[in-house]
Amino acid sequence: MSVFDHDYRPYEGRLTSLRSRPLVLARYALHEAWSSKITIGLFVLALLPTLVELVIVYVADNPVAQALIMRGSPSLTIGELFFLKVLETQCWFALVLAAWIAPRLVSFDLGDNALPILLSHPISRFGYLLGKFLALALSLAYVTLIPCLTLFVYQSYASPQPWAMGHLPLAAGIVAGAAVWIVLLSMVGLAVSAWVKWRVIATGAIFAVVFVPAGVGGIASAILRTRWGLLLNIPVVMSELWQRMLGAPTIMNPRLELPTSAMVAVLLLACLLCAAVLNARIRAREVVRG
Amino acid sequence: MGVISLDRLTVRLGGRTVLDGLTGELRGHAIGLLGPNGAGKSTLINTLLGFHEPAGGGARVLGLDARVDRMRIRQSVGYMPENDSFIGNMNGVRFVRYMAELAGLPPAEALERAHEALFYVGLGEVRYRKISTYSLGMKQLIKLAQGLAHGPKLLILDEPTNGLDPTARQRMIQLIKDIRKQGGTHLLISSHLLRDIDETCDEVLILNKGRIAAISNIEEERRSHRQFIEMEVAGSTEAFAKKMQSLGCECASFAGGRVKLVMPDALSAQDLYVTAAEFGVQIRRIQQRRDSLEDIFLRAMDYEGGRVDHVGV
Repeated sequence: MSVFDHDYRPYEGRLTSLRSRPLVLARYALHEAWSSKITIGLFVLALLPTLVELVIVYVADNPVAQALIMRGSPSLTIGELFFLKVLETQCWFALVLAAWIAPRLVSFDLGDNALPILLSHPISRFGYLLGKFLALALSLAYVTLIPCLTLFVYQSYASPQPWAMGHLPLAAGIVAGAAVWIVLLSMVGLAVSAWVKWRVIATGAIFAVVFVPAGVGGIASAILRTRWGLLLNIPVVMSELWQRMLGAPTIMNPRLELPTSAMVAVLLLACLLCAAVLNARIRAREVVRG
Repeated sequence: MGVISLDRLTVRLGGRTVLDGLTGELRGHAIGLLGPNGAGKSTLINTLLGFHEPAGGGARVLGLDARVDRMRIRQSVGYMPENDSFIGNMNGVRFVRYMAELAGLPPAEALERAHEALFYVGLGEVRYRKISTYSLGMKQLIKLAQGLAHGPKLLILDEPTNGLDPTARQRMIQLIKDIRKQGGTHLLISSHLLRDIDETCDEVLILNKGRIAAISNIEEERRSHRQFIEMEVAGSTEAFAKKMQSLGCECASFAGGRVKLVMPDALSAQDLYVTAAEFGVQIRRIQQRRDSLEDIFLRAMDYEGGRVDHVGV
């Protein structure tokens, strides 16, 4: 083909590998997600606490600044509890960001019936979802993993005493804790977006999926006088998990503490449920039964 | 090697048998897929693309097994779906580039081909507009552009003239003819419009109720009917008919000066006029038979003098 001749000619150049095709989807999805000013606004908002925390780390590691600012207040300690608070804060910002971005990634394709055309190219349904998942997970990592690790690196640099080597498990905990949340949010975000075509409703539904079962679990716990209802409370389950991953002191009533295996099982079950929804909804063709 | 080979292909969807034991080989350069609504045309296309798993039998596209080599088939195929299928908030060039990259073109080449494909289909001037603002005809053309951008060996067009006004339809048909003429790409065109298939295809697969009703080479059919002539004449009809018979024609004359002839290859239309002049016969109407596809279709549909529903000519 040629712009001037308006003739058709076949393509005979090189082709990219089949394995790299999900990255094409991820690249276009990232562009789609970040082309919105609201996404940029949420991202900036999510980084504001990190700026405050950077100042806290600076003050904590600087005796002169501490003496000037704290003026006899108890000294600041940068440790597991500090990073637990940082991780919790950032992860809830990630929920807001996921609720905004995820429907943009999938609902647009479903709304315009783009799946038949997308999946007629050499990419599988799994590849399609992997591309979207990567885009969403990377976006969420910008507001969770990266700020937390930046703070960890800055604390390692600013601490007058050797700090990093003694706190490597904390870094691993931050990575694992953020990764669990990112995977869960990405799966829930994609599944809800695939289920609900309307973007605004999909955004609300993502919040509902996180918070409504918590209420149901609370009611079940109260009626049945059991702690197991807390398993439906995603915020509580995640807080417990993060606290254990980071090795922070427990703040929960020991009577209500949940076994780690049960919490992991619930999260796995949620991810499997999301995978089932995605498997049912992400198809090139709908089959009308009967 | 056929472009598409079907071997007892059976597809069940939602508990219903939609394609029932299709067997045949299609070798044409432009293959028409014809049938009433619900005959299974789109299902066959979706099965060839690997969207539906066959319940029995199999199909091969360009020699590749539709069950095993889905990715390789999709690599070699461009697909223009029947219904609206695009990403509305992308502009034309970005959408076509995206599809070309998904088909395996590196980003720079994909961008170049996207521009070229859009100019080729006639959307060059609107390529930076959002697709959601395109007219129906433009949306059809951008689906064609994305199917062409990566240079497929087989281009599958599902109802390409759906919803187009006569001018846009003519433009689409012309584009399809042009692609066919270039020779590098096979075409599989699904339509319920006989005229579209008649104008663009050289082979036709007719489906009815999920079964193959006919596979026919339109070009051969056309050749076989090329010399079939109906005439209305005034003058000594009987003498004229006898003379034509003596020249080797199969000839029958009817009341009102109607004459039907099947001319041998050795005779041409000129001989007809010369003979008519010899006998002082006035030719008032002459018609070469050309609606062979309609005949094939009606035979395939078990036409019994009634109207065939959903099929436009």
